[in-house]
Amino acid sequence: MPDYFAGIDIGSTMTKVVIMDDGIIASIIGPTGPEQRRLANRVMENALNQAGLPFEAITYLVATGYGRINVPFADKQVTEISCHAKGVAHLFPKCRTIIDIGGQDSKGITVEAGRPVDFVMNDKCAAGTGRFLEVISEALGITIEDFGGLAFKSRDPAQISNICTVFAEQEVVARLAEGVPLNDLVAGILESLASRISRMVNRLKVAHEVVITGGGAKNSGLVKALSDKLGYATLVPPEPLLTGAVGAALLGRDIAHKASKEGVPLEIKKRVLGEIEIL
Amino acid sequence: MAEEDKKEARKKRKTATEAASKIGGMVKAAIGGTVRAKEEGKKLAYSFIVCSYDEIIRAMDIVPVWTENYAGICGAKRDAERFLERAESLGFSRSLCTYALCGLGFDQWREELGEMPPDAPWGGQARPDMMLSSGQILCDPRNKWYQAAQQFMPDVPIYDVGLPWPLYEDDIEVSEVQDYYINYIVSELRGLVKFLEEQTGKKMDYDRLSELVDLGERTWNLIWETYELRRAVPTPMGTGDAMNTMVPMVFMLGTQEGYDFFVELNRELKEKIAKGQGVVSNEKYRLLWGGGLPSWFALTDFNYFNSKGAVFPVETTYRMIEPIYRLNIPDTNDPIERLAWRWLGYWTYWYDKAKKRPGSEPDVERLIQYIEDYQIDGVVMHEAFSCRTFHLGLIWQLNQLRKIYRPIPVLILGRDGRKKEENRELPSLILESDIVDISTYSEVDTRNRIDAFIETLEQLRKTRADRR
Repeated sequence: MPDYFAGIDIGSTMTKVVIMDDGIIASIIGPTGPEQRRLANRVMENALNQAGLPFEAITYLVATGYGRINVPFADKQVTEISCHAKGVAHLFPKCRTIIDIGGQDSKGITVEAGRPVDFVMNDKCAAGTGRFLEVISEALGITIEDFGGLAFKSRDPAQISNICTVFAEQEVVARLAEGVPLNDLVAGILESLASRISRMVNRLKVAHEVVITGGGAKNSGLVKALSDKLGYATLVPPEPLLTGAVGAALLGRDIAHKASKEGVPLEIKKRVLGEIEIL
Repeated sequence: MAEEDKKEARKKRKTATEAASKIGGMVKAAIGGTVRAKEEGKKLAYSFIVCSYDEIIRAMDIVPVWTENYAGICGAKRDAERFLERAESLGFSRSLCTYALCGLGFDQWREELGEMPPDAPWGGQARPDMMLSSGQILCDPRNKWYQAAQQFMPDVPIYDVGLPWPLYEDDIEVSEVQDYYINYIVSELRGLVKFLEEQTGKKMDYDRLSELVDLGERTWNLIWETYELRRAVPTPMGTGDAMNTMVPMVFMLGTQEGYDFFVELNRELKEKIAKGQGVVSNEKYRLLWGGGLPSWFALTDFNYFNSKGAVFPVETTYRMIEPIYRLNIPDTNDPIERLAWRWLGYWTYWYDKAKKRPGSEPDVERLIQYIEDYQIDGVVMHEAFSCRTFHLGLIWQLNQLRKIYRPIPVLILGRDGRKKEENRELPSLILESDIVDISTYSEVDTRNRIDAFIETLEQLRKTRADRR
């Protein structure tokens, strides 16, 4: 029977699960949000169903993300920094810099040979995270998916000066009332967000290749704005939300292989899908 | 966890040394002592640490009330918020120094009530008879704090001591300008003595002052020798404890109690080293606390590092001493001049070293020296938002360090004259919060960063092993 490895990444907004053998055989992305918090273990169930595997078939399971501590069935907890580094390096072996734009935080990671060597995080303020885009999109009455397309049509991006998400929202509404075209406003918002993220990431020694992950990577306008700010071409994985979970599964595989090589028993939890409690 | 249990858990910060575990009681006794001294009619002075006047006020039998210390205690007891809020309601911005805000909120409340605010931590901060400020050349709240407090205590006079030192410039020799600085500092300290004589109605006993300066200098040497013991592997004492042992270093300088504390700590560390006892039983990573005042309400984070096998054998914060014999203090029998030379010598101590490395700075040289001497694996700094002075430049210092400890193999010239390839990369972590304002702190986020940092150290070790 082949070995299967699972990674579960419980972020502040989304929960992601990947099951792998030699490649990805199942992946599920589901919301973590408050009303779903007790359903997060269902995401794992769904992934197992998708793979057609019983839980007992999983050789090793690594949990990552903010909610990793609260996964009772995980064999090991590893931070998202290490998991993103592993996952992205698997997809882009030449990657040296990762920028992860999550729902409620963003981070920069420098990588060497698939291992993190330095990192920065913004976890204190919504500015510079996906939450900023959510708030602004609500104020503008558009979806986040619309952002990229609108921004590319802009000829004169508006200047958004407020750093605070709440004040930026007020500023956006006021500029809209002034008659600033929506395209320019959206482009300005993305430039503002890219500016905040690049300021944080530039604390690190940014090096080529630069890979963007997380929900923010799905916004083509933001990716372009960030590339322009950093002065680097950027790469985006086919599914940028999954890199943490992929990395978690791969780290699990490394642990299992090491144990096998050294002839030591692999310590695993009982394969029972207990309810996940998010902080 | 029930609220009571949480409080209990917070109280139990584990210290590595017996000596450090006694500090809480010593500080509590000292604060209670200031309240009693007030009742006994002794003269009290609001004071700041590291202002070169410790021995002067002790020689005049003036009882120092360390205002930054009291704000830190309010923070550590997680009881600063009501004083911060009060200061804010008086019109002081929350973005100012939170030590000052906490103190101002407390003072205004005490003056309004005519007694200590209700349930004031450890009995409260006694009303002073005078306030001795000094911004030195780096901290404007130390100039403005007591001026602002004077609106609640208009009868309490202030003496502001000017304590400059020449800022580092690689083309200026300290020896060329030091006489000017010494003359100025001496005149400022003599002015302080005159002010204290006026306030107390008694004359300075210079023989006694000389004895206390002797004691202060012996204490500096003893602290330096004691802290250097922490180079041992495993290290017997970490920065968590040093955040306690800074109390006798900077709040009790010029007292026998302060000196005796370090005699005891020295003995304890030697014993631990002889027995091979470290802060943790399995020391994996040796970290440098490379700058920033700590979050006084979150000192258990040091224990969290320890739980991961990480220890801090050395720190730049509150290591406010250098060995006296290296400070080039000229022979003089004038205790005031000795204090001035000690001051100047301390602040310019790393200048010569910096000059030998083009583009470097004294603060960076100090970090490099500690990294090498203490076999450091990584650097941790804390950016406290409300303390611009201390925290400005930390990121720049890390960037400078990265030029030395580069993430690529470099050729190092060994003592045998041969070049060998080494990986001297040094990961760093910047924690973000405040000294007193707990609203800036998230335990979950902080510990997530610590976890990621430890993993980074682990991965780096694996990478180096793979390269061999």
